Amino acid sequence: MLLALILIPLITAALVPLASRRHVRWVALLGTLAPVGLVITLLAQYDWTNPPSQTLAMSADWYPDLGVNLRLNIDGLSFALVALTALLGPICVIGSFTAIKERVRTYYGWLLVLQAAMTGVFLARDAILFYVFFEFTLVPMYVLISLFGSTNRKAAATKFFLYTFTGSIIALAGIVYVAWWNATQPGGFGAWTFEFNSLIAASQKMPLETQQWVFLALLCGFAVKVPLFPLHTWLPLAHTEAPTAGSVILAGVLLKLGTYAILVIAIPFAPQAAITFAPLIATLSLIGIVAIGLVCWVQTDVKKLVAYSSVSHLGFCMLGMFAFNHAGLQGSILYMINHGLSTGALFLMIGMMYERYHTRSMHEVGGLAAKMPIWATFMVFFSMSSVGLPGLNGFISEFLCVMGAFTAGDNWSAGRAATAGSLGPTYAVIAGTGMIIAAIYILYLVGKVCFGPLREPAGHGHHGHGHGHDAHGDDHLPADLTAREIGILVPLAVLCVALGFYPKPLMQVVEPTVRDTARLIQDTRAKMPEYDLSPMPRVTPKAASAPEARP
Amino acid sequence: MIEKIHALWPEITLFAAACVVMVVGLSRNVQVRRLCVPVCFIALVAAGVLAWFTTPMSAAAMAHLPQYGKTLAAFVGALLLLLLVGTPDREYEDDVARGRAAFEPIRGTRGEFYAFYLFSITGLMLCAGADDLIWLFLALELTSLPTYIMVAISTGRNRSMEAGVKYFFLGALGAATFLFGFALIYGATGSTKYTAIAEALQAQYQAGPLNAIAVAGVVLAVLGIGFKIAAVPMHFYTADVYQGASAPVSAMLAFVPKAAGFFALLGLLSCVGWFRATEPNTSLPEPIHEVLWFMAVLTMTVGNVLAVMQNSVKRILAYSSIAHSGYMLVGLIAGPGLQKDSFTHNGLAAVLFYLLVYGVSNIGAFAVLACLERRGRDGQMEEADDIADLRGLCSRRPLLGWIMVISSLGLLGLPPLLGFWGKMPLFTAGVSSGDYLLVVILGLNSAIAAFYYLRLVGVTLLEAPDAPGRGVPVQPGPFPTRVLAGVASVAGIIMLSFIPLTNQAQRAGIYNRDPIIKRSAEPAQPAVPKPEV
Amino acid sequence: MTALFTATLAQGELPNVMSGVTLYHFLFTSAAMFVIGLIGFLTRRNLIIMFLCTELMFQAAGIALIAFSRFWMNHTGETFVIFVLTVAAAEAAMALALVVLLFRRKETLDSSAWREMKG
Repeated sequence: MLLALILIPLITAALVPLASRRHVRWVALLGTLAPVGLVITLLAQYDWTNPPSQTLAMSADWYPDLGVNLRLNIDGLSFALVALTALLGPICVIGSFTAIKERVRTYYGWLLVLQAAMTGVFLARDAILFYVFFEFTLVPMYVLISLFGSTNRKAAATKFFLYTFTGSIIALAGIVYVAWWNATQPGGFGAWTFEFNSLIAASQKMPLETQQWVFLALLCGFAVKVPLFPLHTWLPLAHTEAPTAGSVILAGVLLKLGTYAILVIAIPFAPQAAITFAPLIATLSLIGIVAIGLVCWVQTDVKKLVAYSSVSHLGFCMLGMFAFNHAGLQGSILYMINHGLSTGALFLMIGMMYERYHTRSMHEVGGLAAKMPIWATFMVFFSMSSVGLPGLNGFISEFLCVMGAFTAGDNWSAGRAATAGSLGPTYAVIAGTGMIIAAIYILYLVGKVCFGPLREPAGHGHHGHGHGHDAHGDDHLPADLTAREIGILVPLAVLCVALGFYPKPLMQVVEPTVRDTARLIQDTRAKMPEYDLSPMPRVTPKAASAPEARP
Repeated sequence: MIEKIHALWPEITLFAAACVVMVVGLSRNVQVRRLCVPVCFIALVAAGVLAWFTTPMSAAAMAHLPQYGKTLAAFVGALLLLLLVGTPDREYEDDVARGRAAFEPIRGTRGEFYAFYLFSITGLMLCAGADDLIWLFLALELTSLPTYIMVAISTGRNRSMEAGVKYFFLGALGAATFLFGFALIYGATGSTKYTAIAEALQAQYQAGPLNAIAVAGVVLAVLGIGFKIAAVPMHFYTADVYQGASAPVSAMLAFVPKAAGFFALLGLLSCVGWFRATEPNTSLPEPIHEVLWFMAVLTMTVGNVLAVMQNSVKRILAYSSIAHSGYMLVGLIAGPGLQKDSFTHNGLAAVLFYLLVYGVSNIGAFAVLACLERRGRDGQMEEADDIADLRGLCSRRPLLGWIMVISSLGLLGLPPLLGFWGKMPLFTAGVSSGDYLLVVILGLNSAIAAFYYLRLVGVTLLEAPDAPGRGVPVQPGPFPTRVLAGVASVAGIIMLSFIPLTNQAQRAGIYNRDPIIKRSAEPAQPAVPKPEV
Repeated sequence: MTALFTATLAQGELPNVMSGVTLYHFLFTSAAMFVIGLIGFLTRRNLIIMFLCTELMFQAAGIALIAFSRFWMNHTGETFVIFVLTVAAAEAAMALALVVLLFRRKETLDSSAWREMKG
């Protein structure tokens, strides 16, 4: 079942070269729709009462001498992310129907391979298997960007590949170290395994300094993908150059590989180090949120703006995660899903605009609401979702992340809301500033592109006048969105509204992961006196006087 | 003596076949001359089968190394043979076939070429089975001497000749260096037998630090053998020689002397270190460890950095071959580990497995070059070499293009392809031995390697083919067996990624310190005077 | 002469003329030859001279082997030397063949005349 989720896109990818040019997109569509069906079946099969379900788990030997197993399983978090991946699959395929006209077989083939690899990352329960899928997403993305991207695509693709490859090799060293540690533990001597749970169990006994090294190594690989502030430079380039579907997947799923890996591997493998590094990472996230938010503001390329906004948004996600409390973790995971939906949708919108005008510069297009009312409606809708308008999906996750950071303070009051953590209101306030900046640049974008006087690039002056079709026969696209385009935007919009008003099902799905991680951190703190806050009184005037009261 | 003959059947088979080939290659009848390759192939397969049944050398520290090494040599050797087909006498045979020239045995080089190839493989097998320094010296020379000639006659061009001479002179320098090292080792221990050397050194360990002559000898020997594996500082020849030789011969140079060098290093170092009973210290003696460490780091880094700057595909592959040697040295530094039958702790098994990985993956990349050729300015056929020659190969010649793509990604070590599974044991062994810095350097070097392998992939897979009329386009040559070699290599890369053959390497890598320790527990021979140097 | 040789070998002692000559002298000679050969190889540009330098290095190893053989009172080193001489002869044959080939093409023995490849 889980294997089928990975294999169906792969097999379809192998069949794609055999299909004729005209039918290839339908083959690809089938290959991406099948996983959606599978996910729906899984919904029924998954044992919701007793997660993580063991009935779906599978394992088979791969390289037994190295301790590498084909070990797949699914839990709430993977379920949500696999569902997101499966949903974006057909949307990307349909979204590319008119945009891609040359080398269609190559395009859809690699798109399917990418889909399989991403699904694999979320299902793997063996660190090396995880790493294999994680790395293997690079090749299809590299090909998609460098074949189907815009002018500067080669450099962008190479930069993307090298950044991630370099980082993840260091991460591999970290994983191998943990496996070695596991093998040298009493009872596990000589037997290497990369199974998540054994490694997590063993790594709890690592001394702090070792954990810090392991954490840094893992962070090298995963923070590049997120991307965390100083390592983000590949992202705007890759996004701007990638084809629309590439950007959608990049923003929607690939970045989540990084956050997912940090949540599932880096933090559990080195919890003590995660606690000590939390302020540092939160600070980097904040720099990302604010500084990159400001960078967004000055962009004139619409796609670049949205790309930079991803860096800023993922900053919230990381901030919430490293708050290590229930709200923060919950918000962080919701953010992964919501960002995938709304930013993915924004990239689709920009792709649709680009197909019509062949430009993404805000100087050249503007006031499109007059020309493309439906497009503008969706644009405004997804922008609001992205910026966190209450009632839409972005709001709840952003709020939870910031709240998590706010309450995760040890240097604040002894109030009940405060849970153990190293962040605090200062972090939350700065993040709040970031939210305002985000609102400003998104409104600025929407205002320029959708409203105001109509501006169109030269040659498009009569675009759609009178008959609603481009007189030049430019892609034979009508001025406003086609039914196909609306068809792929509607599900995303519905989900945005649904998750905005009623996020509870999703929160319940990911609840076990949140609970486990929070408990893990809590238990770890108990072993670290200087970070252990729960049993001791808070550092407040009242608490300071408490020891004196003792006899 | 008789039991040694039993262990030598594969070599004897190859030697006999080499003699047959040398005669057959001189025949005036084309049909008979063409028998050279089939005879070679049959001999290699037979040698492989015989090698599989080689009895383990129970007295040696690595009892199963000969079996693994010889089988590997025969297997990769057979693949390389497919690639070598058509290299010697190409123009001359053309002329003969068209009646422009009569066949004169004195002018033909076909017989010698294939016979030398078999001799070289014989030498490689002997290296794997060596248990004595004299034997090792002769085996290394037997591996190398034929390759000098093969390089020189591989194409009719001046650059082949130049490459051959360069290779020969630097090879002689390397040989003299390790010979001097061997002499010093003999001087410090009084014997050339591995086991006796190990015993003597073990005794020295117990008495105190190692004799300076022994250390100097081992260091010189390692440096000299560094020439065979193309390790810094003996790597200078690599790029020029690989570029000057024809692609099939370069592919052979990338594997045969390298494997011979690593077998030699394994044998040599197994009698110098690793056996020290004082656990957990299983590493090599300090100065030797340091020499190897710096050699490994420099070899990886220099190879990868220089490869990034090249435009000739052969030079890229040459520098990358240097880098791969550096990776393998990491396994030697990690040593056998404390866990006797654990693959993950054992750096020696990792090296042996990597040899298989590299041997299989490497053939693919060279096969593509060997299959592409153009008519040069002087009217002779010349091989594709510039990276621009590969432009758009996947759309022009999908089969060749994909061979290039997959073998490049395989050599890069992108999971889940074979190269990754080759590097993994090196990682695990390095981490097990506690040398984290070296492991991180290994990782960073793999990342540098991504630059140029990605370039090969990008040019082949992603770029549009040149418009016709620009330069002389490269065409596939008339060598179906070379394509076959490439296909076999890719099939190997993919199959071995999913069907692990690690247990053979694991068994061969088992380092048994019992024979040495048991014997050295007995009193040293009183007849031997103590060296007073 | 032969008789003297076998006699001294059987006695296990160096001939009288060698008295006062220790292992150090042999090792020093051999190391000096090796280094001279190495330096010569790296500095000279004439192919024949370069080849002779490698021969010098081979023979240096030979001297060391003989000296050690005498020192340890076994024949392993001498056996080794015989093999080394054989291999050196094979190398010499090959070197001369290659050098002659090169000379025919460029009419010079200067190694710097051969610089077709660079990078």
